[in-house]
Amino acid sequence: MHASVGDEIIIAGHVVGEAKRVGLIVEVRGDDGSPPYRVRWDDSGRTTLLFPGYDAAIKPLTEVDTDEESAS
Amino acid sequence: MRVEDFTWRDPVTVDVGTTIVDAAELLAAHGVGALIVLDGQRPVGVVTDRDLVTRCLAVGMAPDSRVDAVMSMGVIAVDRHDEAEDLFHLFSTHAVRRAAVVDHDRVVGVVSLDDVLVSIAGELSVVANVMSAQIMFPHAGDSAPPPARA
Repeated sequence: MHASVGDEIIIAGHVVGEAKRVGLIVEVRGDDGSPPYRVRWDDSGRTTLLFPGYDAAIKPLTEVDTDEESAS
Repeated sequence: MRVEDFTWRDPVTVDVGTTIVDAAELLAAHGVGALIVLDGQRPVGVVTDRDLVTRCLAVGMAPDSRVDAVMSMGVIAVDRHDEAEDLFHLFSTHAVRRAAVVDHDRVVGVVSLDDVLVSIAGELSVVANVMSAQIMFPHAGDSAPPPARA
């Protein structure tokens, strides 16, 4: 798994009805973009240091920007 | 107070392909309640003694099943230099009882809610001893002044 500062991380819900968690990667500690990542969560505004599991997906910053532009 | 001021345990790790029986034996051998699950060198999850009971024994899962079938995905971590308050919030907001302790990008330990409570209880007992001493042996200057004469 590789990520850059500014990328979005999405953690899928594990049971029906459980919302996915979305956060912004604000720090990348591993070499070459590898974990752990410090993530600021959209729902709480708090930051957490995280080694993502298989349920996590990284949305690159370029895609995040594109989505926001198309939404506006 | 910082995270590194708390007592923590060395991390005990297993590979994703480890069977749940071997994981249970590791838990027992090391006297810990959780194992960090590695995919190669990368932490990808945590399996606890509770997971083995509720997700394996309770549903009759085969003993040779892999731990990645029952682990909790992802590893919540805290930097050893972070403030204790950050750790308290982490336990609260993520509803976890353990967190990996990280030095830059490397897991160097696991701190549990129990470890934190023991540390805090130790500090409280020091404060309680000071309070007890002051109540039992008050300083002369601390006594109440004599009542004023009419």
